[in-house]
Amino acid sequence: MEFREAQVVRGRLFRLLALLLFGILLTNLLVLTVAQHDYYRNRALKNRQVQFRVPAPRGRITDRDGVPLADNTFNSDITVSASQFADGQPDSALSWLLRWFDLPPEETLADLEAQVARHGGRGRAVLVRGADMRQLTTVEERRSRLPGVRVESRWRRRYLHGSLLTHVIGYTGEVGPDDLRDAAPGMDYRVGDYIGKQGVEEAFEEQLRGGTGIKLEEVNATGRIVGRESVWIRAVRPGRDVALTLSLPLQMAMDSLMAGRRGCGVALAVPSGEVLAAVSLPSFDANIMTGAISTDQWRELSEDPAKPFFNRLVQATYPPGSLYKAVTSLAGLARGVVDTGSVLEPCPGGYQFGNRWFRCWKAAGHGVLDHAGALANSCDVFYYQLGLRLELADLAEAAAVFGLGQRLTGIYPGEAAGNVPTDDWYNRRMGVGGWTRGVLLNNAIGQGEILVTPLQMVFLSARLAADGRVPGPTFVQGQQPAVPTVNLPYRPSHMAWIRSALRQVVDAGTGGAARLAGVAVAGKTGTAQNPHGDDHAWFMCYAPAEAPEVAVAVILENAGHGGSEAAPVAGAWLREYFDWRHGIRPGIGGDS
Amino acid sequence: MIRLGWLWPRGDGRLMVLYALLVIYSLALLWSVTEPLTGAYSEMRVDVPKSVFWRQLTWIIISWVAIGVVSRVPLRYLENVSWPAYLVVVLMLAAVLAVGPEVAGSRRWLAFGALRLQPSEFSKVALVVLLATWLGRRVEGGSRVGATMGSMVLALVPAILVLREPDLGTSLVFLAIWLGMIFWYGISGLLLLTALSSSVSAVIMFYSESILEQPWPWAVYLLALMAVLYLVRGGLLASGLVLGANIAAGLGIPLVWTRLQPYQQDRILTFFDPSRDEHGTAYQAIQSKVAIGSGGLFGTHYLQGTQKGLAFLPERHSDFVFSVAGEELGLLGAGAMLVLFLLLVMRAIRVAMEVRSPFASLLAIGVASYFTFHVVVNVSITTGLLPVTGLPLPLISYGGSSLLASSLMVGLLMNLSVHRYDD
Repeated sequence: MEFREAQVVRGRLFRLLALLLFGILLTNLLVLTVAQHDYYRNRALKNRQVQFRVPAPRGRITDRDGVPLADNTFNSDITVSASQFADGQPDSALSWLLRWFDLPPEETLADLEAQVARHGGRGRAVLVRGADMRQLTTVEERRSRLPGVRVESRWRRRYLHGSLLTHVIGYTGEVGPDDLRDAAPGMDYRVGDYIGKQGVEEAFEEQLRGGTGIKLEEVNATGRIVGRESVWIRAVRPGRDVALTLSLPLQMAMDSLMAGRRGCGVALAVPSGEVLAAVSLPSFDANIMTGAISTDQWRELSEDPAKPFFNRLVQATYPPGSLYKAVTSLAGLARGVVDTGSVLEPCPGGYQFGNRWFRCWKAAGHGVLDHAGALANSCDVFYYQLGLRLELADLAEAAAVFGLGQRLTGIYPGEAAGNVPTDDWYNRRMGVGGWTRGVLLNNAIGQGEILVTPLQMVFLSARLAADGRVPGPTFVQGQQPAVPTVNLPYRPSHMAWIRSALRQVVDAGTGGAARLAGVAVAGKTGTAQNPHGDDHAWFMCYAPAEAPEVAVAVILENAGHGGSEAAPVAGAWLREYFDWRHGIRPGIGGDS
Repeated sequence: MIRLGWLWPRGDGRLMVLYALLVIYSLALLWSVTEPLTGAYSEMRVDVPKSVFWRQLTWIIISWVAIGVVSRVPLRYLENVSWPAYLVVVLMLAAVLAVGPEVAGSRRWLAFGALRLQPSEFSKVALVVLLATWLGRRVEGGSRVGATMGSMVLALVPAILVLREPDLGTSLVFLAIWLGMIFWYGISGLLLLTALSSSVSAVIMFYSESILEQPWPWAVYLLALMAVLYLVRGGLLASGLVLGANIAAGLGIPLVWTRLQPYQQDRILTFFDPSRDEHGTAYQAIQSKVAIGSGGLFGTHYLQGTQKGLAFLPERHSDFVFSVAGEELGLLGAGAMLVLFLLLVMRAIRVAMEVRSPFASLLAIGVASYFTFHVVVNVSITTGLLPVTGLPLPLISYGGSSLLASSLMVGLLMNLSVHRYDD
């Protein structure tokens, strides 16, 4: 076949091939643009539309007068991806930042690893928290050379008074695995969100947190927002403020009066039950918990023998010591085993029961005392005898009326109930027959197995002051009290008597250090024996004695006598209180 | 009076219209691609600057002049310069390997100051002309097998040099041109069968070994091939040749595979299994399909494509420019472009069938092969039918060398259309 003739055949074949190939292309194009159009249009949409969660600013926490105690700052953090420091080796961008920001490499890397360890070694870690302008511009200007490094802005909690209110307010921290698991439906927590931990922050989380918003943003191929089609799927609902019943000046007064000591000072408004001041020392700065607390800082705090994490207000339990004598007296009066004017065997400085000598705190003895004198001078021998005339059930019944042995707040999950022992309790604890009526002697003076929290003692004081018409303590305005008011099952004459006896304690007894000029104070001192060291100093009181409006309880750990250590703190705080409430500053230790 | 008539190319008017439509289409796409991107891209240099459009416009003017010149060159003169031209481009390709600046791991350019030329593009033109000369002189008499083998060597030299750059896509162009022209020259059925079945053997072997990691598909293929050879009674020698070539191709492919660059291996593996690498090489292919698919029938409208405008689409001014057409102008726009190319190829085949001289006919079919391979492979890549390899869309993609080479091809065709009846 000649070349020219073959050309025609081959030309047809070539045309056929070209038509076939272009036909395939066109068919494929048809499939993509028509049959699969919806799929690819969605892919294109998903490419450029990204949902962003916009966290709400957390509600502020204020004192009773609206003074802010906790608010928020809008911070920019410099964050890096976990892949940038895999196996403890920083990549070039991270190494550069470490040098540029002059960060110690070893510690910083350990900190970064600790941050992502909570999330299985993935995600992002904060390199610089709350970066300053210089650091932010450094990163922004070098974006192209710092792949993986991001600036992320978010609300961060700020506690305006550091450690002053930590045990009342609690703090916020990043949600942990437990929080994510246990979260109430609808709260929508994600890794990296903040959640209230402890105290009011935890109890009022739902109100404070508000609602996270969801926004649809158009992003470009590098993931940056281009800001063309921003659509709110769900609006941000800012958290609502929470007003405490606390007064900042009163809190500060209590804190400075107890400065350097360990213990707890708490005051209630009577009869509302609102907590006016609540100090637990030592404390710690709540602000450190909102950041990533360093391991060293954490260890230092958690290994501190003074236990700064321990909320003594509601978590610590101590024997009430002589504060409890007020309860014992009322139990005795109610059972009719003593009268208001009863005089028992004189006090020689101790009391023989069986083969054991129970000492009075005053080794020289009190001699002959009537019931009121015994309370005022806190004579143990009188109460040993009174205790022996009672049953444990009588004491427990009286204790229950004042809220002992139960949780009072309803908002502190770690709150202790304390312990009011009964026959059953001793039977369970020591076995039937494993104990004697000797325990009554100890219980009558508030020692031994009976345990109370400082909050329970201020509540006892408030209920003594107001005939029981004080509801459970509240920390937040509008909070429903966890314990209702009661009518005390005691005769008015008995209540009048005990109130005058408590006034006697301050006017002429062991509580003289809490005496104020111009304002009558009624109270009771206590010295709780402590098997592990020096005695704890207790004092509870209310004022003015004739028309009570405030109750106070103070405990100073290992400080010794309540009268000499705790009572002056309560007295000095009451001065501040009357200045704050009525604009008068009663003198200390004046005549009543 | 200055005579400017020489500026107007001589030859087939319809061919000129096709060419003009394609380069105008190219300018329209490049204008869209070089519009500023939406949003801040400070962390990546992903913007395609407007200068790309103006440079391409300059190259179009240069190419226009080049077509005018090439369309007037006497054919005999073309035959005479075919060897020197070929030797020059081969030397340039060697020079690229020796002194070319390295960009992203490969050497593809020769830089003369600000001007960067891609010799591999011009070598396609030189190869077409030389193969037409070589094969055209061997149409009558002599050994056809010798002519075939000789032409294969001529095609392999630039192909191997370009493969070393490395640029797999372009080196395949030389083989495609050779295949098209050797088919036109008249290859024996036996050779054709040997070549085609060997390629199939290689692909099946690769698929068995690298993807399935089991040898049985290749074994089954060989058994089937032997059965076919027995049934057609091809003769012992021919059957042995076919079988031997198949076994060699099958066993050779692992050797070729190990010689490939890692990124080339990646792209091929990713093509067979896109989930391997959602953000690497598959990213380009996926984003390209998303762009075309989301364009639908009529597109998102000119300048409005988000895949393009938000920089999701990589290489949108060069190898993936077709996807921009698909996104913004839809099936209608992209399909129209394909039809223009098809008409161009059909025109070239028609010329090849009509011209009298074997040289002219082979030249025309070389041009047809060139456009067919480029367009089919480039569009197949952008629509996900083939693994990603760098290959521009002729006359449309940004790039001066590529545009000039394609224009020279069109210019040759114009020239031939005038010399239809020359011997």
